[in-house]
Amino acid sequence: MSNYIPTIGVEVHVELKTKTKIFSNSKNGYGQMANSLTNVIDLGYPGTLPTLNEEVVNLAIKAATVLNCKIRKQMHFDRKNYFYPDNPKNYQITQFQTPIGYDGYVEIELNNQKKKIYIEEMHIEEDTCKSTHRGTKTLLDFNRAGVPLIEIVTKPCMSSKKEAVLYLEKLKELLFYSDISDCKMEEGSMRADANVSIRKNESDPFGTKVEIKNIGSISNVGLSIEKEIKRQEKLYNNNETFKEQTRRFDDKLEDTVLMRVKETGNDYRYFPEPDIPFVVITDEMIEEVKKTIPMLPDERREKYKELGVSDINTNKLVQNRSLSDYFNQLLDKNTNHKIASNLLLGDISQYLNKTEKEIFDTTLTIPRFLELISLMEDNTLTSKNLKEIIDIVLESNKTIKEIMKDENIENITDDNAIREVIKQIISNNQESVEDYKNGHDRAIKYLMGQVMKETKGKANPKMAMDILIEELQ
Amino acid sequence: MKYLNKNIEELHTLLKNKDIKPIDLVNEAFENIENNKELNAYITLNKEEAIKQAKELENKEVDNILFGLPIAIKDNIVTKDLKTTCASHILENFIPIYDATVVEKIKAKNMIIIGKTNMDEFAMGSSSRTSYFGAPHNPWDHNKISGGSSGGSATTIAARDLLFALGTDTGGSIRQPASYTGIVGMKPTYGRVSRYGLVAFASSLDQIGPMTKNVYENALLLNVICGHDDHDLTSSKKEVEDFTRLIGKDIKGMKIAVPNFFVSDIVNREIIDKLKDTIELLKKLGATVDYIDMKYIDNAVTLYQIIAMGEASSNLARFDGIRYGYSTENPKDIEELYFKTRREGFGKEVKRRIMVGSYLLSGKNAQDYYFKALSIRDDMKQEFTKVFENYDYIIGPTTTTTAYNLTDPMDDPRKSFLDDVLVIPVNMAGLPGLNIPIGFDKENMPIGMQIIANNFEEAKIYQLASILEKELNLNLEPKRGENNE
Repeated sequence: MSNYIPTIGVEVHVELKTKTKIFSNSKNGYGQMANSLTNVIDLGYPGTLPTLNEEVVNLAIKAATVLNCKIRKQMHFDRKNYFYPDNPKNYQITQFQTPIGYDGYVEIELNNQKKKIYIEEMHIEEDTCKSTHRGTKTLLDFNRAGVPLIEIVTKPCMSSKKEAVLYLEKLKELLFYSDISDCKMEEGSMRADANVSIRKNESDPFGTKVEIKNIGSISNVGLSIEKEIKRQEKLYNNNETFKEQTRRFDDKLEDTVLMRVKETGNDYRYFPEPDIPFVVITDEMIEEVKKTIPMLPDERREKYKELGVSDINTNKLVQNRSLSDYFNQLLDKNTNHKIASNLLLGDISQYLNKTEKEIFDTTLTIPRFLELISLMEDNTLTSKNLKEIIDIVLESNKTIKEIMKDENIENITDDNAIREVIKQIISNNQESVEDYKNGHDRAIKYLMGQVMKETKGKANPKMAMDILIEELQ
Repeated sequence: MKYLNKNIEELHTLLKNKDIKPIDLVNEAFENIENNKELNAYITLNKEEAIKQAKELENKEVDNILFGLPIAIKDNIVTKDLKTTCASHILENFIPIYDATVVEKIKAKNMIIIGKTNMDEFAMGSSSRTSYFGAPHNPWDHNKISGGSSGGSATTIAARDLLFALGTDTGGSIRQPASYTGIVGMKPTYGRVSRYGLVAFASSLDQIGPMTKNVYENALLLNVICGHDDHDLTSSKKEVEDFTRLIGKDIKGMKIAVPNFFVSDIVNREIIDKLKDTIELLKKLGATVDYIDMKYIDNAVTLYQIIAMGEASSNLARFDGIRYGYSTENPKDIEELYFKTRREGFGKEVKRRIMVGSYLLSGKNAQDYYFKALSIRDDMKQEFTKVFENYDYIIGPTTTTTAYNLTDPMDDPRKSFLDDVLVIPVNMAGLPGLNIPIGFDKENMPIGMQIIANNFEEAKIYQLASILEKELNLNLEPKRGENNE
């Protein structure tokens, strides 16, 4: 067990899900032919000027809201000046002095305890272009240049990789649920950098900071933090010091690798972008945006649990945005939500996976689903039956009863008919009846099996059991 | 037969009645330019395209007063398929793939672009001598400068090559050369004219404006180029108005202020005397003129240097040899590509300003210089606003001297800014300002007066300018060796 306390801060870049880029009307898209989504503005052509995509400001307000940030009512953009081939103007338009959101937090749950991960600030900026190195040449694809980003910076307030991972999962869930970003780390629409330092005691100053860049997945963020902490501990234990530096996570080595040692403070020569006037954010704008925020995951989880849905099902539903949205339509319905969640996550999910469909692409309207739940609840339809007809249920518009009729699914629900069969079985199996009366539980299962055998499985099991017990008295 | 020295209404009637064709005017403009070749007013001529366009116009209806008239464009305003060099080696062969908004507007009126005019490299300078293509010469005296940075546009108008030219004004670059060459030059209110397609020097100060031989034509050209542009967030949403509407209206009762700084001993005696004659004339015409003290305007040059150079250092960063423009041969790595391309591509003055600008924005300096300058700029704006609560106009000389010799030394960078000491405050405050010729010095070089009004009061400026123009009735056609007085 180590005796160092890690301090971790995380910076996340998220690409916003807008139709067009932040400062031009080029399409914002991924995976298109290189340089097909560019215009003179994205290329930093002489004489061009930026315009400001309102959708970006609205999504940033939305992000600030779901991250519990305060919102800057008057903000501007700044130029960050540095030369790099992926930076078409050799300055990046970002927000330095007046980030749109500040002093926010995201709540995580660690060992059944809630903890707030504090957000220092979040700001809007433009993405750079993508460079690919081929031998001695570098190829530039400007499709990504000018894609809107928000950068979310936490305070150095995390002390374990677990917290960092939980924070990122929560952040991803929030941004995804509020339609701010598709948060695909593998496509680069969400990118995380971690700042890690360690120290002996809480009262010590922070240790030397190391920034880890280019981490491709949330689990690798955890792994890279773990490895980095170990690396720093080893150095300190050997009485070695090191300089503030930037490292990257190497997937193959599963360890961090030095990129560059930080020079004495970067000089980005920030100054307010003169081409974009100050932006005023009114309370009305914020209210309008708030209306577009759907129910967030934590509230969903709470509601589902209240309705008796199991913890496992609750989490599974929330992990699947469209199923959860679908399920939300049942929240105020008088139905069996437990069965509903089982159906959605069981046979229905299987069908959706098989056919690569979304629940909203099927014919399962809410009234039909309610009918299905109720037929399942009173055992008119058994799980076995449902498996046989699930495709039809999700592809036709007939009522479930009509489908059952078409498919000759008829469970004996007439209690007189079942009672007849049961009386017959009781009289034919006196030995088991005696056993039952002597307290052998196994006997009733045997008798029940006989009932189902006689009715070819069509007897409503619950009803049959009730009658059987009655007749055995 | 010469047509281009006729007044515009006459020309319009001739075109409308098909007595002349646009091609006649285009041919005449190119002849004039050819005859005045030694003035070096142009970097690129648009001969082939202009002739083609003129011929196409023959079948079109003459639907506006500027129809078919030739125009020259300063070479820092991008023109599709027509070389735009900014008078720099780094853009020597740069052919833009889009038109600036003002160029679109000009084309929409079927004006014909004759060529791109000479200027200081990236508009950095006040004598057009930092041009990679050599300086233009003053039509009044070929040994003298035309001023800058819009020296080429001023030259071609003063030489009567054609009627219309566009210039740009960041720190006096329209008004100062207009003063040196005896023409009318307007820097509109910041935001009046879209900057989209103007290769940026100092974004918060740059403004495009018309340069013409008289007031009326100037207002007509401003009518065409101004208006809100979705491509430029700093362009004003103010409604387009007819800037000629107050021309000729009398100025009785108008209140005019002359800041004492504008008539202090930084200005040549001859110019002050000429200004005072003009002031007497204004009084005779019923205006009142007061001399006033104004705070901050004597600091304008310092503020300008900080803001303009800071912004320029960032604006010019994009010229890196990667996507367009000059690129050094066989660089060994990216660093060398940057260093060599920029070292070889930019001229001395541009490099000096980039370096000073970078220094001013660097680290702590940004707070000490750039942000402080922005805040004093706001104070200066307030100071102007206060004056305009009581006055209709602020006037003064446009320049401290008349045009000087092309061979005068260029090695004192501060000197170049002092040429613009009277025009820079207007850029800092974002106000409209215009140069109107008011006479000549003893060497027969033109003297100009600057008229400044409140934001968006260009029409009012034209009013005063038109009255002066009429009353002074100067002969403004350069006759070398003869006296124009």
